[in-house]
Amino acid sequence: MSGPTSARAFVRSGTALTVLALLALAGVYVLALGFTPIEARQGPAQKIFYLHVPAAWSALLAFSLVGLSGGLYLWLNDRRLDRFAAASAEVGVAFGVVMLTTGPIWAKPIWGTWWTWDARLTLTLFLFFLFVGYLALRAALHDPSERARFSAVVGLLGLLLVPFIHLSVYLFRTLHPQPIVLKPSAPSLPPEMLRTLLISALVFLLLYVGLVTIRYGLALAEEEREERLDAA
Amino acid sequence: MGWSVPDAIRLALAIAGKDIRAELRSRTALLSAVVFAALVLVVFNFARDPTALAAVDLAPSVLWVTFALAAMVALNRAFTIERENGALDGLLLAPVPRGAIFLGKLLANLAFVGTVEAVTLPLFVLFFNVDLGHALPGILGVTALATIGFVAVGTIFSAMAVRTRFAELMLPVLLLPFMVPPLIGAVQVTARLLDGRPLSEMLGWLRLLALYDVVFVTLCTMAFAAVVDE
Amino acid sequence: MPPDNAGYMVAAYVVTAVILVGYAVSLLARARSAVTGNSVKREA
Repeated sequence: MSGPTSARAFVRSGTALTVLALLALAGVYVLALGFTPIEARQGPAQKIFYLHVPAAWSALLAFSLVGLSGGLYLWLNDRRLDRFAAASAEVGVAFGVVMLTTGPIWAKPIWGTWWTWDARLTLTLFLFFLFVGYLALRAALHDPSERARFSAVVGLLGLLLVPFIHLSVYLFRTLHPQPIVLKPSAPSLPPEMLRTLLISALVFLLLYVGLVTIRYGLALAEEEREERLDAA
Repeated sequence: MGWSVPDAIRLALAIAGKDIRAELRSRTALLSAVVFAALVLVVFNFARDPTALAAVDLAPSVLWVTFALAAMVALNRAFTIERENGALDGLLLAPVPRGAIFLGKLLANLAFVGTVEAVTLPLFVLFFNVDLGHALPGILGVTALATIGFVAVGTIFSAMAVRTRFAELMLPVLLLPFMVPPLIGAVQVTARLLDGRPLSEMLGWLRLLALYDVVFVTLCTMAFAAVVDE
Repeated sequence: MPPDNAGYMVAAYVVTAVILVGYAVSLLARARSAVTGNSVKREA
């Protein structure tokens, strides 16, 4: 199926999913704020956890898929993989911004500082830089084949960089332990907190799928328009 | 492909040799990169408070930031020259293995960046009054390890960046996240070497550096074809 | 007694909603205009 109608189909179904997900997100807000116990040592600010962690998971998923579909594109040369990678990258940035704003807002009351170079926050920062670099490169390349190939290479290399970042930050941290006032998350979560976290993670996943679908439809529509302009 | 491994290696060395000879003839890029590195060292000297922090504590970081910046400047130059000469296009018309071309470019870039580092190191010793002594072989070793990592990723990224309008901005934006793990490792090892710590304390970092090099040199060699071919 | 830091919680929840809803709405607007624009020929 090709032509303007399929782009519209993606946008339409993506919109439906996104609206559903946003409504569900409102539900998660109610659940987290109203029906989940307050953590005794950390206080209400601990509840930021229910947004920060799912956002980080979604951003990491988005980035992994950018890298994987890039690798597959280099192998299979299927334009749909490139369109998907572009969509996942942009949506990933949105989750990345959530991650990078909720992180410090959570760190300040819990650790007393807006930023700390712990393994988690550092990785989130790197992920963000990798996303931005990927999107900047795409924006700077105008030939579709070049754009697809180059960003596939960057995405794939970026994905393989992630374990090295994690490893080097971990090695660095074990040598330079920072004083931690309160542990950010207890080793074993009480069941109601775990439940809220998992529900939130599912809603974030649904939101990711919905947004990527819309963005994919947008990419398809833009490609079709460019083809029409070239033919004219 | 009709190319055997020794032939491919010969091709890589030939490409490297050609690029190195071209750079030696003009020498402007080399000189500018060296002057740049020296200036960075000077800035670092004035950027710190000598009463607050001893030179030797900051030394590894200063050295490696300088090396990283100089490498970036050098890498940008390498492919810009290439684009101006168009020599790569002629080479690509023939069915030569793209991986061998990449390795040739990598070797040439390593020679270039290595030369800048070789001139920067004595300047660093001079400006910061660092006693290298027994640490010198180790420092050379870790420099080689980390530089291979930077330059491998930098070579493939500069080949891509050069096709964009603001290549000088695009290369750092893409490359800097990739330079961080080798940089962390290099600073940690250099600090321990200058402190005279035993090898056992550096093994973890050295293994990380070596693993990084193996993974990324391999990947970039394989990915180069996607960058230069349609 | 849990510490009194609910202000941070509210800030984070508000910021997250603004970012996600804001992005969703702007993406939707771009997608809608691209899809309807394709039924009309446009100047480059």
